Amino acid sequence: MANDDIVNGGIADDDRTSRPRTQGLPSDGDSAASRPRWRGLSRSGWGWSHAAQSEPASDNAPIPSGHPRSLRPLRRIAIILRSMWRHGEGRFALIVLACWLIVALVSLVWTPYPLLVTDGYHVWNGPSAQHWLGTDGTGADVLSWLMAGSRTNLLIVIAVVAVTAAFGLLLVAAMVSRRSALASVSVVAVDALISVPTVLIALILAVPLGASIMVVVLACGFGYGLNLARVARPQAMLAARSAYVESARANGAGGWRVLVGHIVPNIMPVLLVQLSLSAGTAVLAESGLTYLGIGVPSGVPSWGHSLATSVKFINVFPLTVLWPGLLVTVVVVALNIFGDVLRDAADPLTNPELRGDHGR
Amino acid sequence: MGVDMQGLSVSIGGTAIVHDVDLHIDDGERVGLVGASGSGKSMIAKAALGLLPLDARAQGAVRLGDTQVIGADERTLADLRGRYVGAVFQNPGSSLNPVLRVIDQIELPLRLHYDLSAGERRERAMAMLHKVGLDDALARAWPHQLSGGQQQRVGIATALVTSPRCIIADEPTTALDSITQRQIVDLLVSLVDDAGAAMLFITHDFAVLSRATTRCYVLDCGTMVDSGRTADLLRHPGTPQTAALVEAARELTLRKEER
Repeated sequence: MANDDIVNGGIADDDRTSRPRTQGLPSDGDSAASRPRWRGLSRSGWGWSHAAQSEPASDNAPIPSGHPRSLRPLRRIAIILRSMWRHGEGRFALIVLACWLIVALVSLVWTPYPLLVTDGYHVWNGPSAQHWLGTDGTGADVLSWLMAGSRTNLLIVIAVVAVTAAFGLLLVAAMVSRRSALASVSVVAVDALISVPTVLIALILAVPLGASIMVVVLACGFGYGLNLARVARPQAMLAARSAYVESARANGAGGWRVLVGHIVPNIMPVLLVQLSLSAGTAVLAESGLTYLGIGVPSGVPSWGHSLATSVKFINVFPLTVLWPGLLVTVVVVALNIFGDVLRDAADPLTNPELRGDHGR
Repeated sequence: MGVDMQGLSVSIGGTAIVHDVDLHIDDGERVGLVGASGSGKSMIAKAALGLLPLDARAQGAVRLGDTQVIGADERTLADLRGRYVGAVFQNPGSSLNPVLRVIDQIELPLRLHYDLSAGERRERAMAMLHKVGLDDALARAWPHQLSGGQQQRVGIATALVTSPRCIIADEPTTALDSITQRQIVDLLVSLVDDAGAAMLFITHDFAVLSRATTRCYVLDCGTMVDSGRTADLLRHPGTPQTAALVEAARELTLRKEER
């Protein structure tokens, strides 16, 4: 037994020294008196000689409160943001997205000109002191419309990401189900449906819904959800068949618990990248669908709307097209980079800071 | 809580894996199940937990306490698992969720089965952590930062944190070196005895078995070939299969002593 000390550093030692604490306890008689208040545990109606032994541990080693739980969500987010900020491209993405957010909020209360103010004497003007980005074909201020459009696009992107995540995870759940019939049917269904172009889905949806934000959100959410499910499936499958999921099931975790608590956290990197790609593509899709006349209805400001109303005159007044085009490009690039950098920053395996300061 | 299996047969896709197995464990008794790889030991463990693959067909009766496991609905089984039956698995590294910290891992069964406040849960899990011989600092560690022995200690803590009445240990020491094996077996045995729980200890290694159990069953190609007190079987193996397993254990132990 002397050999035992060699392995695991001091663990072997620990084991033996801890025994008097755990084993030397007087059994049932005393333990009933010192039984800790366990609302749920006492429910079972069995003797809790075992539970009572947790007493000595709390006697001689008061658990440092907050110590094991110090990496709470807010600090986690702070660490992730800091790691993202440290990379050049991460900084770019964060700045662009922060600006977007701020502009969207500001546009709720203030734009340089009210949206419906038009100046018939100054149409298709270039940038000037009065109109920083010029005016469009009705003489309205381009900057004001883009600012107001940013909140529509933000709304659309958030909605699309939410729908994509919900629908995609539902499909993932079906595809990795233990019921082989459900799993194979859903795999075939996803493979078949993924061949339907998103634009076609949008066109079909536009029949009952007309031109509306819902068309963009539902069509994109559907299309990207399928995509997400297909990309995430192999990893989700690995997680679903892993020993830790079996162990969780052996601990009594049911289907949804396993999905939410064990599979999703383990495929988070794939999900983050896919969702940020979806967010970027949603911005593009909004422009495209609005251009086709089935996206954001006319009169509602959006980047796609600004593009669509000026694109016909691109040969004559290219600047008016340039601004929304540039904006969409920069934002899409930022969203894609954001996902990449977020994945690296949020994964404890690639970001040592998230692992805390002890390790071997 | 005892385990009682009567005429258990398991087959997957027409291939019989376990054939007509009877097995009985009394309250608080430590019983072994020994057999070579592929003899169906793990299937029996899975059957006891109600975790057989969906394409497996099981016949016979498996009772955990008063509950009939085969044919029970998922809800009943989920309530049973982790609360009344704990499980320790073979590969400690992959049985721990890589994105859960050690302490969250141990809290998992409490979270699933008991309505405790976060503080009570943490207190309980920390106490369990100390009992398996790990110190406070490891509570916040990720599973990959631990050694194999420490990982298995976490596995044992997770299985025992709710004080289940029965532990099913499926080759808990197979992935560990021989010295760590002994520590883990001793730890498991002492904790199970303290809790007064029953244990089904599955292994292929008679050396480990003699340390962990008083009575054992020998499984070969899905059929029960021998049973009795572990010490007796070790001394006088009744069947060739038992003799082969005992011989293998002797040889390995011998080689260790020569070193």
